[in-house]
Amino acid sequence: MLQLLKQKISGKFLLIFSALTITVAGIVWACGGGDYYDDENSSFTPEAFVDPQYSPFFYESSTTYYGSEFNDNGNTRFNKQVVDDWYAYLDKKVGRQILDTLLIKSSQGFTDSVYRNFKGKLKDLPAGMPDLSKSNADEKQLDLFLSYLTLAKACESYAVNQEYNYWDEKPKPKAVAAELGNMLTTAYAQTKDVFVKQRLWFQLVRYYYYQQKQESSAYTAPKLTLPDFFAQEEAQFPKNIMYYRTMGYLAGYYYQHGEFARANYLYSLCYNYSFEMKIPSKWSFRPQNESDWTGTLKLAQNGEEKITLWHLLGISQDPVRAIREIYAINPKSDKLDLLLSRLINSKEQSISPVYSNEESKNKTIDLKTEISLVANIAKENKTRQPFYWNLAAGYLNALSHQYVTAKTFYNVARKQLPKDNKLILAQYKILDWTLYLQYLKKIDAAAEAKMAEPLTWLYRLSQGKDAIPDLRFHRALDQSLQLIAALYKKQGDLVKSNCFEQHPAFYLSNTRIEAMKTLLAKPKKSPFEIAMLNYCNVKIENLYYLQATQLVYQEKLDQALVMMKKAEGINATLLLGNPFNIRINDCHDCDHAAPGKTRYTAQSFLETMINIKAQLTAGKDVSRNAALLANAYYNITHYGNARYFYQSDITGSITDMVQGIDEPFRHVYTDNHIAEKYYLLARTNAKTKELKAKFTFMASKCDHNNEYNRMMESEENRNSWYFQLDKIPTGKYFAELMSQYSQTNYYREVLNECGYFSTYVSKRR
Amino acid sequence: MTVENNGLIHNGSTVNRIDVVLIFCCVLIFFCSGCKKKQSSANTAFYYWKTSFLLDQKAADLLQQTAQNKVYLRFFDVVWNEEKNEVIPNAQVDIRQDAGRLNITPVVYITNKTFQHINVAGIDSLTKNVNQLINRIAAKNNIRYTQVQIDCDWSVTTRDKYFSFLKSFKSLNKRQLEATIRLHQVKYPERTGVPPVDKGLLMFYNMGKISANSKQPNSIYNFADAEKYISSLPYYKLPLDVALPFFSWAIHIRNGKILRVNNSIGKVQLLNKNYFVNTSEEVYRAVKSFYLSGVYVKENDVFKLEEITTDNLNEAAAQVSKHLAKLKTRNIIYYELSSISASAIEAKDIREVSAHF
Repeated sequence: MLQLLKQKISGKFLLIFSALTITVAGIVWACGGGDYYDDENSSFTPEAFVDPQYSPFFYESSTTYYGSEFNDNGNTRFNKQVVDDWYAYLDKKVGRQILDTLLIKSSQGFTDSVYRNFKGKLKDLPAGMPDLSKSNADEKQLDLFLSYLTLAKACESYAVNQEYNYWDEKPKPKAVAAELGNMLTTAYAQTKDVFVKQRLWFQLVRYYYYQQKQESSAYTAPKLTLPDFFAQEEAQFPKNIMYYRTMGYLAGYYYQHGEFARANYLYSLCYNYSFEMKIPSKWSFRPQNESDWTGTLKLAQNGEEKITLWHLLGISQDPVRAIREIYAINPKSDKLDLLLSRLINSKEQSISPVYSNEESKNKTIDLKTEISLVANIAKENKTRQPFYWNLAAGYLNALSHQYVTAKTFYNVARKQLPKDNKLILAQYKILDWTLYLQYLKKIDAAAEAKMAEPLTWLYRLSQGKDAIPDLRFHRALDQSLQLIAALYKKQGDLVKSNCFEQHPAFYLSNTRIEAMKTLLAKPKKSPFEIAMLNYCNVKIENLYYLQATQLVYQEKLDQALVMMKKAEGINATLLLGNPFNIRINDCHDCDHAAPGKTRYTAQSFLETMINIKAQLTAGKDVSRNAALLANAYYNITHYGNARYFYQSDITGSITDMVQGIDEPFRHVYTDNHIAEKYYLLARTNAKTKELKAKFTFMASKCDHNNEYNRMMESEENRNSWYFQLDKIPTGKYFAELMSQYSQTNYYREVLNECGYFSTYVSKRR
Repeated sequence: MTVENNGLIHNGSTVNRIDVVLIFCCVLIFFCSGCKKKQSSANTAFYYWKTSFLLDQKAADLLQQTAQNKVYLRFFDVVWNEEKNEVIPNAQVDIRQDAGRLNITPVVYITNKTFQHINVAGIDSLTKNVNQLINRIAAKNNIRYTQVQIDCDWSVTTRDKYFSFLKSFKSLNKRQLEATIRLHQVKYPERTGVPPVDKGLLMFYNMGKISANSKQPNSIYNFADAEKYISSLPYYKLPLDVALPFFSWAIHIRNGKILRVNNSIGKVQLLNKNYFVNTSEEVYRAVKSFYLSGVYVKENDVFKLEEITTDNLNEAAAQVSKHLAKLKTRNIIYYELSSISASAIEAKDIREVSAHF
């Protein structure tokens, strides 16, 4: 019978329903993909209010069952319960592990050996099988157990779901042998022991269930139908899990015969019985038409049974209607709690945490019906947990931007909160805090003083430095940062705004960078400032580095070096290739792999630039030095081999694509005009035609890149990923190269290596 | 000069000019020949998409009279199973009649999500599994097939994996391989790519946005939406068969959002005055909450009925046939047989529509 235990109720029901799913049309809703969990956009923690037995049904749009506690494997769902029951039956004299081996793990051959050994008919036991002949358990009970075990194992052949590789042929259902039915019937008739007899009753009901499903000619209908047999025998057994598991098969029988009203009624009774029964019963509960649903309601024998029915309708379909019905029957029912949490969690998912503009405000979904229902119930104060309904009414109002009303509900709730429940108190704090922010119009010193503690609290939760198990705080965190940032921005305090929500454009102004540095360097910070800076990732050395690099692009090298020296740590960033080198076709990987004597850090690179520029200014070796500077300026743009020079958390460093550079900085880091200027200077001062050819070609690269940048930045191409290179003008330098330098070796090299140029030339010959 | 490492430039975005010229010439010839009295060389066929394959008499007659028993039969779907984290077959067809005498092309629908999740190594086993399952179903039902059709609404991000699947499937299965092509894929081939198959099947339906708005035109087929896409049709780099829609569905809408597309609730149920009030042409509002055909309908839910008529079919056929590059024999596949047999359409209507090609 372990098999009975092993038997999975939901498995069987899954089989029943698989035919139905075919007729259900495809759902059009696109599922949110990716690793995103609903509770990250939630401020309402069901665990704070709802009994854990309902936890698999806490709302999460992306999964069938919530959390990790549920067991949805019908083959194993009841294993523990079965072992526990027999352990108690055998008066704890046979260990749980032995029972687990026999009931759950062993095949029929092994358990038969154990039984024959117990009876003295077999001397040697298979390895790992327990010798029960020496057990001090009651011999008669042991005998009953082992003889039952033999039958139960035989029933597993058809009752346990056969697992198989989905790509292989689905195994055929095993035949339900007629002789097994006879053996079960005989054993049932002979057994007086109620514990064992109830299990045999279960086996027989299940046997009938599978037997009538078989369409083979071998099928002989039992004398009694399954419902008759169930009804005839049920009175003698306790209403325990065994009883309700048996009832599950009765329900399945009705469902299969199209008697949905009765089937769904029985499923609701099973659902109500225990945690283990909830998932398969809720899954199986499927009214088809209004007539069977009203039929189910009529079968309910009392208010509590009706409540379970409405509760099941409410979980899957219509929590508002279900709450209304249940509340009318029994306002104290704990079956209201799950529905309320599902109602709120499903609504908050569709409402974005912050309304930053009118457009999204207009998208607010209509919550009038929900608010009116929940608020009225809260006001009547008749429920099991009045604080829950007040918080829910308040939160629904807050979601609809009715902040004043929300506050009145929270105030009532506050006085009703259980004082010793950490999770509920934290839940209250989340709601109260976010509401405070939502109606806050201006942040002054008093507000800052008040915000320090909750901001620190949220920060520590988000970093895992403190933990309140199950608490949903991510939505509140996002809301806090966005709302505070927006308020400061409105007040003109961009530095503080940027601490809560960083925008790259903030760093375009040196004045703002200086203000940020002052804040970071401030010796005595207020508690609020400490709390605020927790959220600010930027460090003072990042700011110095940013200032240094910006000055380099402005060709203020000496001033840049002053800042660079203060950018401790970052200034030692090693550049991957030699930034003073250049080639016909850019190849960063080749440059990075090329062995070179000198490796440059950001700072040593800058110092070398300063030396080169000094020589250039002094008129020494002008062409060569101009070319080196040109190469350096080329390489510290997106097109060059030293992207590390500009990439940073502040300005964007996600990818090697242009889009990885934050937009405000994109122009500076892609612009090739400075490099072009120095190549032209190098060309003017070059002594040989070969060198002039080279610098002309290099200037053409700069020119093309600039044209490319212009296309990319144009409004029409803003969101486009597709450009055609042949639309970029070939520019004057190609023409010069062709007309003036075609006799040089360098020209031939370019012709060989640069397809773009060779196409250009071939079209003009 | 080339720009290294830049994701903005799309390989192969420029269409080979010679190809364009050739295609264009073909189109010219096609148009000219179209001036003469047309002799259709198209083959008619039907999709069968339900899980249980058993034709009623009307469907069997229609199939025999119009399509010489040519059926594109959906064998199974391939889906990504979230809970098991693996690719599995789903909704395998249960063939309940003698299929051996029919001319059957196996069709496999693969969700795009499958390719979003699968890794490169998984493609080999997917290929093997799909091929084996097709062959097992075919062998069991005495189906001898000469081509396979794969249906997948792939996207830019899944293109490479999907195409690599198609290539390896083709080399393993060895039959002619056809892939479905949706209209947006015809319009933006440089983005979505052209699948490496022998033939494409243009799905000439589901072109509009499925919309809660009752004024929005029929999403299954409407001339205006189709027109936006088909100008690129002559240049598509695959020979194309065409699928035409013949089905209806009710769009179930709640609070202005689409809940599902439903084909178990149709006009018959929507005309029940106890449950629905007809608010405008083909739009019905629920007057209370109730269960219907296994679906829970909430008070004020709206159902928008979208149907395709024979006139629509003729309009669609006339519209698309004008833009197709010439093909010796083209298959015109109607979606789908079980819905058609339940409608008033007759063999002569189908022949008339196919004659446009």
